[in-house]
Amino acid sequence: MKTTSTIFQDGDHKWVAIVRDPARPNHLIDTNEYLITHGGKGLLLDPGGAEVFPAVFSALSSEFDPTALSAVFASHQDPDICSSLALWLEFNPSMRCYVSWLWSSFIPHFGGTAETFVGIPDEGMEISLNGLSLQAIPAHYLHSSGNFHLYDPQAKLFFSGDVGAALLPPTQNGLFVENFDTHIRHAEAFHRRWMGSNEAKRRWCERVAQMNIDMLCPQHGAIYRGADVHRFINWFDGLQVGIAGG
Amino acid sequence: MTTALTVSNQASAGIDLLRIVRINEEIKSVVGVAFKINIMALNAIFLAKRAGTAARGFGVLSNELRVFSQDLRTSMGVLTDLIHRCVNEVSVVLQDIRHTRLLRAAVTMSPQSRLNEIISRRESGNDAHKARLSSLRKQLQRALDDAFQLVELGGVLAKSAKIEAAYGQSFAGSLAQVSGEFDGIVEEIRLSLQSLRRSAFFSAN
Repeated sequence: MKTTSTIFQDGDHKWVAIVRDPARPNHLIDTNEYLITHGGKGLLLDPGGAEVFPAVFSALSSEFDPTALSAVFASHQDPDICSSLALWLEFNPSMRCYVSWLWSSFIPHFGGTAETFVGIPDEGMEISLNGLSLQAIPAHYLHSSGNFHLYDPQAKLFFSGDVGAALLPPTQNGLFVENFDTHIRHAEAFHRRWMGSNEAKRRWCERVAQMNIDMLCPQHGAIYRGADVHRFINWFDGLQVGIAGG
Repeated sequence: MTTALTVSNQASAGIDLLRIVRINEEIKSVVGVAFKINIMALNAIFLAKRAGTAARGFGVLSNELRVFSQDLRTSMGVLTDLIHRCVNEVSVVLQDIRHTRLLRAAVTMSPQSRLNEIISRRESGNDAHKARLSSLRKQLQRALDDAFQLVELGGVLAKSAKIEAAYGQSFAGSLAQVSGEFDGIVEEIRLSLQSLRRSAFFSAN
């Protein structure tokens, strides 16, 4: 089963990181899921692949009543992001899925009906979770052509999808980045290959650098906090991306 | 349901899919042959006309063989439609098996009455899909039996054409050759359908 860690709490407003599954088969990439709760309702960010559903579901259930999940947020269309959608919908058929308009007719191949999907326009949108205002921030071409991150201005937490991801060795499985220089080595090849556009990266860095962010939470690897957030943005800004090795 | 049983169900649904694909390939080849019979029958009608009154009976049978080829194509169309419905249903069953496996794993890790309700609802749905597949199996078997009967009739027509060819006087040789080809092709289809009727797909639940 995955472990859960509350990374932010202010009354009933919480961010819970669902991470690291020791029973996960090695051929499946490790993923982080994040649950935002507010006023008894929940929003699950990048709910994960179908094969990790049991581990994510049981971890989430240990913290929160899964019937109170009102929506999931899919940063993009990849199978490790949301191929579990049909299973979550079995549990809660009225649940909504926020995803780029670009993918709103592709992701239904994983499950859901026409009513399930809320297409996010290219410029982003505000998402309300029981009165909590969250912002879908454009991150197109990083790496998907229809890609969004999610900012919680009240918690100052930023869900960055694949940006900031690191493929960590089993010996370095901490929840937070402890040594930026050591950590970033495990992120470099991933960003060079997966991130497709230097122009898109530049715009993202400019936009995100102006935000007030305490933690940058990627879908793979460890969470950046404090000064490491800007350290990461600066590092990413200087990295040439869209390069296949060899 | 144990993991071993789930794996076994998944494997058996996978084998079902493979069997359906084989049946479909056979049907596709019969459709091709039916088209060939139609062309051959058309040529046989012209040949009978040239042979005149001596080949009048052969002409009537050639016309009947042409009708047979069209009926055969219609019959294969019914089978193809049923095959597509079977593929659809087996695919749903395969998806059922996977989803049930994952939901069961979730309930093992995190026992919840709500999850048990969902699994129970899903299992009812799974049973309904299996029942639909079982009904489609029977429909496909009946349609294959009907097609087989039709081909038996085609065989009788081809054999009668062989007899009629003997009365074709100076055209007897050509008519015998054409009717022999009819007989050979219809026999080929008959054997093909006979093997399909024995497919293990029909003995599964």
